[in-house]
Amino acid sequence: MGIYTVARDDFRNARRSYIVLGVIGVFAGLMALIFFSEMTIYDEPYRTLFDAVAFVAFVFPLFLAPLCYLSIAGDRISGTITYVMGLPNRRWEYFAGKFLSRFGVAAAAVVLSTAVGFAISAATFVDFPDVERFLIFGGVSLLYALAFVSLFLAISAGAPSRSRAMFGALGAYFVLVLFWFGFLPFINLETALDTVADVPGITLSETTRTYIGFLSPATGYLQASKAVFAGVIDQYPAFQQFNTDDELYAELWFNAVVLLAWSAISLAVGYVSFERSELG
Amino acid sequence: MPALRTSGLTKRFGDVTAVQDLNLTVEDGEVFGFLGPNGAGKSTTINVVLGFLDPTEGTATVLGHDVASESHRIRQRIGLLPEAFDVYENLTGREHVVSAIETKGARDDPDAIIDRVGLDSEDARRAAGGYSKGMQQRLALGIALVGDPDLLILDEPSSGLDPKGIKLLRRIVREEVERGATVFFSSHILGQVEKVCDRVGIMTDGEMVAVDTIENLREEIGAGAVVEATVDAVPDLETVRSIEGVREASAAGDVVRVTCTAPEAKMAALRRLDDAGTVRDLDVEDTSLEALFEKYTDGGTDDEIGDAADAPAATAPTEDDATAAAGGED
Repeated sequence: MGIYTVARDDFRNARRSYIVLGVIGVFAGLMALIFFSEMTIYDEPYRTLFDAVAFVAFVFPLFLAPLCYLSIAGDRISGTITYVMGLPNRRWEYFAGKFLSRFGVAAAAVVLSTAVGFAISAATFVDFPDVERFLIFGGVSLLYALAFVSLFLAISAGAPSRSRAMFGALGAYFVLVLFWFGFLPFINLETALDTVADVPGITLSETTRTYIGFLSPATGYLQASKAVFAGVIDQYPAFQQFNTDDELYAELWFNAVVLLAWSAISLAVGYVSFERSELG
Repeated sequence: MPALRTSGLTKRFGDVTAVQDLNLTVEDGEVFGFLGPNGAGKSTTINVVLGFLDPTEGTATVLGHDVASESHRIRQRIGLLPEAFDVYENLTGREHVVSAIETKGARDDPDAIIDRVGLDSEDARRAAGGYSKGMQQRLALGIALVGDPDLLILDEPSSGLDPKGIKLLRRIVREEVERGATVFFSSHILGQVEKVCDRVGIMTDGEMVAVDTIENLREEIGAGAVVEATVDAVPDLETVRSIEGVREASAAGDVVRVTCTAPEAKMAALRRLDDAGTVRDLDVEDTSLEALFEKYTDGGTDDEIGDAADAPAATAPTEDDATAAAGGED
């Protein structure tokens, strides 16, 4: 009862503040734009799915951050938590309710934008879209959303102030997406690993480096989405970015485990810190 | 079984001691006034009782349950009106009440509760984020009443309420006590608890300095009411001073001020004055309450008591007296 009521109230409150509409609507709208703008460039919808994957990987966390970073910290700052926890809710019920509410919004954004992409492809592309590819895209994107919602919720649970919750969320995005992927020259995982490897006595094999490279939610998600393009990897040069090594890190299940682990560890750490924290 | 009991309860935040060695017992079925200035440690005590804060030392039980390990059961049986809280700004007042009913597994009618706390039914269907402080307090009171709690914890319940709301609050407190509930009423204003509370505890700087009925506390510091009479002719004040229960009598022009420590002394003093000459005007000030409060919360210098009571003749009790009063709680 507690979880359901907490989740419903949180969701209702968010929905009426238009943050839900903002996250779901704008995200699906941008996804629609990608498909519209590419319908005259490519015949196959799956090529546009590749760009959609990149969009999700780099931009979706920026939608999830404002959705989640105040989910618990905001309640503690305003005192709404006193209303909720003054009622017979256990701390895990509150935490789980918040998680369900926010992940529900993120999941709705993924489902809607996938459906919008499919519908536009069906209506405008030369080739009819492959349902299975869109379903896999939606599935791995849900895992990605799960990892980041969990992470941002954990940051919110542990942050004592609005500013720290914000810096925490932005910091996580910077490290796990931009830094890990190597988006920025010099400030990225590769150069960091080079520095580590330069330390006398430490050797990093190429395989170890690649494993480390696939351990962030963003790189894990990008590699996991290789499954969307099963059988057509050789069709476009862009698809050559996917790793096809005969190693675990190139396998879908490994990437899925990485994403689930980010979620599980974040939720566990976030819950423990919330459970121990003093309210009021 | 007491409704609330703390034993050696201490709460420190780093170097700051918010509550120091608090031993408090609130009996089942009583209305207990928890008094003290802002920052005295009242809300910290309440937050420990609710399980929001962990006690640094000591223990607390509510309705027989330990606050640290059985917080959920406690919150199932209490009703809370918190001091610093915020509503879900986009949920209506009614939705808050409905959620409270759901969470407690109660069978209350949300509209009956809303009506009982005097919240307009149209307002109850508006987003609570737009409520005035008074409306928010009424909503919080309604939420506290859900599920017929055995213990009501009201933290500064009258803040933001207009006189009508305060009257309603008192009536609801009385109704709840008649139903069999215990009420723990925290306030920084003595006047708001004296009318409803059986006993009061005065807290200052994290320590409980006095626990007793208001009458006993008043006697303890020897403060009473001041009768101010405008008379035709000022009589020999010694005859007034000799009345039992009169501590001091003085005159300024045609105004005689009589400080009474016993309630029955007021009328006797008046008769004496009226015998000597007609009493043209009369004013009775029950200022002793404020004096009492300030005595305990300010450390009680003579000047402060005098100012507060507006009775220069009143003799302030010594610090030892106050300590004795505090020690007399058992």
